[in-house]
Amino acid sequence: MNEQRRQILEMLAEGKITADEAERLIDALERQRPESPQGTASRPRPRPKYLRVVVNSADDSGDGPSRVDIRVPLQLLRAGVRLTSLIPPQALTKANAELTRSGVPIDLTELKQQHLEELIEQLDEVDIDVDDPDSSVRVFCE
Amino acid sequence: MIPYLVTVRHRRSDGRWLRLYIPVLPILLVLSPLLLLGGLAACLATRVSPVGALRGTGRLLWALPGTRIEFEQGRTALLVSVR
Repeated sequence: MNEQRRQILEMLAEGKITADEAERLIDALERQRPESPQGTASRPRPRPKYLRVVVNSADDSGDGPSRVDIRVPLQLLRAGVRLTSLIPPQALTKANAELTRSGVPIDLTELKQQHLEELIEQLDEVDIDVDDPDSSVRVFCE
Repeated sequence: MIPYLVTVRHRRSDGRWLRLYIPVLPILLVLSPLLLLGGLAACLATRVSPVGALRGTGRLLWALPGTRIEFEQGRTALLVSVR
């Protein structure tokens, strides 16, 4: 029970206010209450819309420093993942054979669309920051 | 929303910029017969469902706006932006 409600009940017990007045005051308190937490609560963080990849590297070839800045909508990644369901099985088999021959034994047929979509969903929180004396790489969502 | 403009900017080593503005919708309309025929042939050849391919391509197109790719190497640069 909060302090204001207690004071109203004490005033009622002491006979300073009538039961109707106490009810009206408590109703007024109830109406005020939902507004106060909204004012104090922090606003939810907006959901990221883009995946950013920023690479800065110092001059190592004599051409000057290089910079790569890529911004891809997360929606595009989701659409791309859905396209994987269109890949014919025989193409996946051939890709698996080539990957195995290259020393990367990954079975692409085991990659399910649902798993990839879950992966994209979790990308929101990704923040990769690699700092090197000559270059820096940052992958994040914004 | 379908992308309406793709901007390609290329900075040459002499510092001059080449700007290319590509209106997507008119170009898609002009090339649509060719794209449809080519797409259908590709789907039949690879045994992919044409409806699924069309839907997937549509989703991909719809998701493209907002994409921005920038490469800079010394004095040269390539910027591609989809709006």
